[in-house]
Amino acid sequence: MAAIIEIRNLVHRFADGTTGLDGVSLDILAGSFVVLAGANGSGKTTLLRHLNGLLTPTSGTVRVAGLPVAQNRLRARMQVGMIFQDAESQIVGETVAADVAFGPENLRLDRCEVDRRVAAALAAVGLEAAGDRRPHLLSGGEKRRLSIAGVLAMQPQVLVFDEPFSNLDYSGVRQVLGRMVDLHRAGRTLVVTTHDLDKVLAHADRLILLDRGRIAADGDPAAVAAAAEAFGVRCPPLAAERLSWLN
Amino acid sequence: MAELSTPHRRWTPARLDVRLKLALLCTASLASLQMQLYGLLGLLLPFALLAIARRASLGARIRELRWVFWILALVFAARALFTEGAPLVSLGPVAVTRQGLQEAVNACLRLALMFVLGGVFIGLTPTGEIKAAVQWYLRPIPGVPAARVATMLGLIARFIPVIFAEAARTSEAQRARLGDRRRSPVGRLATFGLPLVRRIVLSADRLALAMEARCYSELRTEPELAARGRDFLAFGLGLAMLAVALAV
Ligand SMILES: Nc1ncnc2c1ncn2[C@@H]1O[C@H](COP(=O)(O)OP(=O)(O)OP(=O)(O)O)[C@@H](O)[C@H]1O
Ligand SMILES: [Mg+2]
Repeated sequence: MAAIIEIRNLVHRFADGTTGLDGVSLDILAGSFVVLAGANGSGKTTLLRHLNGLLTPTSGTVRVAGLPVAQNRLRARMQVGMIFQDAESQIVGETVAADVAFGPENLRLDRCEVDRRVAAALAAVGLEAAGDRRPHLLSGGEKRRLSIAGVLAMQPQVLVFDEPFSNLDYSGVRQVLGRMVDLHRAGRTLVVTTHDLDKVLAHADRLILLDRGRIAADGDPAAVAAAAEAFGVRCPPLAAERLSWLN
Repeated sequence: MAELSTPHRRWTPARLDVRLKLALLCTASLASLQMQLYGLLGLLLPFALLAIARRASLGARIRELRWVFWILALVFAARALFTEGAPLVSLGPVAVTRQGLQEAVNACLRLALMFVLGGVFIGLTPTGEIKAAVQWYLRPIPGVPAARVATMLGLIARFIPVIFAEAARTSEAQRARLGDRRRSPVGRLATFGLPLVRRIVLSADRLALAMEARCYSELRTEPELAARGRDFLAFGLGLAMLAVALAV
């Protein structure tokens, strides 16, 4: 399968001189389910923000579907949907339905298509009955699912999740994980960062460990997970058996 | 949006096209300045009857709106005491005059009408529609970025509850560490105000990033508004009522 994301020698230095990424090279195949793990501050969020041009490389290139992101930001953002670490701060609309409509409206789709996509996206995350509710009154899990719906409505090829399980209870984790697995089955490419390998490992087909802005290990989830402890990520017990949270 | 996506929902006066609703509200506010006692009473009467018919939830509403009654009382006192005319009762240097009493009643009724109409408008109209109407009215004005103004309005509506929530969280976190034992207002400002502003700015920053990630642009799908025959009929009826109220 072809690589949908190609990263070459990506270096990112922040304005204050902190090095966020230090020479990352990486290909992500279309349709794969990639987990990105690493200790706090290892550069996971920074890496994700390069995938849709929210950050500009200090050096190196990022390509999405063959085109460099730096010159094609809008296209990259249409192809790479991002679900942020903090669900609350990515809510834009005054109602749940208005929030989901925000992306499609930016794409200038006609009103019928916007409404159709909003309905489909809300149904996909099980929020179809909440269309008129105020987003800030939703529970943490519902907010997370709302932010997924907002991205789904734009129908991106790649979905990027930054810590999708933080602050979620058991059923919240299962709901979000269930949606992720559905999307992967439907052929989307998923890139997920997490500290909790336990929750996604069974469904991933690749695990990448980041350490201080560099790729420390990359490969088969079970094999890489065994080496994770050295980089500040807990290796789940029985990683090799790949027990799913969904059963 | 959900309202807009089901255009064939049963029509009720509450579903009157939002632009006409807004126009009616503005006309009513201006007209009420010229109305006298009977006109004002006549317009308020239907709302009063409606309120009595649904008195179940009225008690709680009135408690929520205590401050409205304070404002009305204040206006009443000011008008009654400081209007020239034939004195009815004198209280030392000031006197309650006949004209003053009349003026006070009218002013209070006007204000009450404003509150009632404004409240009804806000209660019956989803924020998204108000935003759409503002954008529609601003569009013909050259030099005004209507889409940007509408987005700002939407963001403000979304942000106000966030600011209160952030303030509550900051205050809780500080009280948990006995921050409320600091008495100096300057110290309070530094320990409460600064972190609060910082958090609000940070969350605005994050929101801007999230909007960018979802391809924010000012050229967006326009909100869909449709005024049909019945909307204009209801609008005309509203105008006629205002005209009658002005005439009596
Ligand atoms: N705006 C910024 N300015 C300066 N340094 C930053 C900025 N954002 C992040 N950093 C630094 O860059 C490094 C990588 O941060 P990043 O947010 O990518 O880590 P992360 O792996 O996502 O961590 P976490 O697991 O805590 O989310 C950290 O050392 C962080 O302190
Ligand atoms: Mg992060």
